Amino acid sequence: MGKDGTHARSAPDLRVQLGPLSLKNPVLTASGTFGYGQEFSDFLDLARLGAVVVKGISLEPRPGNPPPRIAETPAGMLNAIGLENVGVERFVAEKLPYLRKRNATVVVNILGNSEEEYAALAERLEDEEGIAALEVNISCPNVKEGGIAFGTDPRMAARVTEAVRRKTTRPLITKLSPNVTDIALIARAVEDAGTDIISCINTVSGMAVDVFSRRPKLANILGGLSGPAIKPVALRCVYQVVQAVSCPVIGIGGIQTALDALEFLLVGASAVQVGTASLVRPTSAVEILDGLERFLRHQGLASVREYIGTLDTSCRFPLAEETCAGDE
Amino acid sequence: MPKTQEKARLLETRRVADDTHRIVLYAPRITATARPGQFVMVRIASEGADPLLNRPFSFHRIHKDDGLFEILFRVVGRGTWLLSQRKEGSSLDVIGPLGNAFPMPEAQEEIVALAAGGIGIAPMVELGYRLADWAREKDSRQVFLFYGARTASELVPLGKLERRGIRASFSTDDGSRGSCGTVVDLMDQSVRESGLLPQRLYACGPLAMQAAVAAWAHEKDVRATMSLESVMACGIGACLGCALPAAHPDDSSRARHVHVCKEGPVFDSRKILWEKMEPTPVRPLTFVCS
Repeated sequence: MGKDGTHARSAPDLRVQLGPLSLKNPVLTASGTFGYGQEFSDFLDLARLGAVVVKGISLEPRPGNPPPRIAETPAGMLNAIGLENVGVERFVAEKLPYLRKRNATVVVNILGNSEEEYAALAERLEDEEGIAALEVNISCPNVKEGGIAFGTDPRMAARVTEAVRRKTTRPLITKLSPNVTDIALIARAVEDAGTDIISCINTVSGMAVDVFSRRPKLANILGGLSGPAIKPVALRCVYQVVQAVSCPVIGIGGIQTALDALEFLLVGASAVQVGTASLVRPTSAVEILDGLERFLRHQGLASVREYIGTLDTSCRFPLAEETCAGDE
Repeated sequence: MPKTQEKARLLETRRVADDTHRIVLYAPRITATARPGQFVMVRIASEGADPLLNRPFSFHRIHKDDGLFEILFRVVGRGTWLLSQRKEGSSLDVIGPLGNAFPMPEAQEEIVALAAGGIGIAPMVELGYRLADWAREKDSRQVFLFYGARTASELVPLGKLERRGIRASFSTDDGSRGSCGTVVDLMDQSVRESGLLPQRLYACGPLAMQAAVAAWAHEKDVRATMSLESVMACGIGACLGCALPAAHPDDSSRARHVHVCKEGPVFDSRKILWEKMEPTPVRPLTFVCS
């Protein structure tokens, strides 16, 4: 609160602290939905975003999966891009300098086929300027090796996290998959292995078929579901992870509006990533940021931090208190 | 050219052939830099998230002075059906102009042809007007249009295009208008009768037709420029969803992709690995609106 008690009228403080990572605001882009940032520079100022999380980078360029790679589903989309990317060398030579020039806060999403590849990527990026954090992708459902193979087994997830941890001094984010029986188990494993931050969720494994051609709608047959359709699943996962770990959490999944973003902050996410919404409306992330600020003013909050994790789960009906709080 | 997100006003909507609609949109910022061959992404849902994704449409006509452009589309699914139901005066979120444009003929090229199949006529009309102007600059220049559809009622009226000096001929699968056969049959017939082999071919249409045109052009050593389509999510090169199999210059066994929204939608036919292309599934119309 300001000295004169007029905090609601001054601009709310949007800064968030995620362990070692300081961000100017809690609105980030989600990997795979924002290219390398440059694709969006006609539509918004990259420097305004909490961070730009770039398309997942591997050691070598990857051609990705054969087409068709996209199928629309009710309030969502399935994709099986297959981690097509330019590879770390071209990223460093061509993409990163542009992001630096635009004063973007950059988070580099990394992926590999083995622990060694993840470690080598972290090492390769360690001395490059203009990287705020690494996000370890152990949750892509669309490739056979790497990706989700590491994300569904707590021991493997921990080993990849440890391998990257040993090679980087930068803030480390580990991105989790919802396609597991107990996400809290994986979350605790990567926290114990040294991750600073957990982001979740990646896409939800799904499928679509065409009844006329009798063909799957994706060449890969299975794909990852994203968009508003997955928001309740994402919210549940973030809530469970927040309960399970003590490190900060970034919420991802179906966020289209500021109110969606606030739901994730409410259950305890310290920041959010905007994904599919950017594909449909390139200005989504900054519009969500503006909406967040409006909401905080409306609620008379001086800082977004006052709102994070304030979900009230106390019993709503005092007469039913025994059953609400019951042990059974 | 900067890409813009603009709220466009739907000024006019009209059914111009079987299941085929033309809408006129007022969007001065997008129109200002639009070129033939480029496209826009149109938001279908007036509110909410269903359908979630925008739909890509090429510029059918560009009226720079009036800040308007037209799109021409065929109802092939729920998105295009909903678009066909939009009322005049309503507004739509549009992103554009996107992708690359048709290159104009090179200095030595004098005989050019447009080949359109079905709704593939959409981007060919604006290009046709530009080529008509190009042809008027020099007597030796000629522009042919080969336009085919399944049946006569699917052919879209071409307006003043023919009066501008374009030599148009038509084909239908059932012979209800023009010659009975394919666009490639029509091209063969024209070359036989006029003795003029085009030096450059512009084509747009269903996959089977495009592949046949590409093969025809390759065999006759004619440069073919194709406007291609794909299922698309963003249209701005971010999602990489609209990949097509590309011919690898060195090694055909190596997977390589081009992206319709970024490197295209206009491609030299030799850049595409035609044998790996998959047709976009089309839903029978009976089930579109149900």
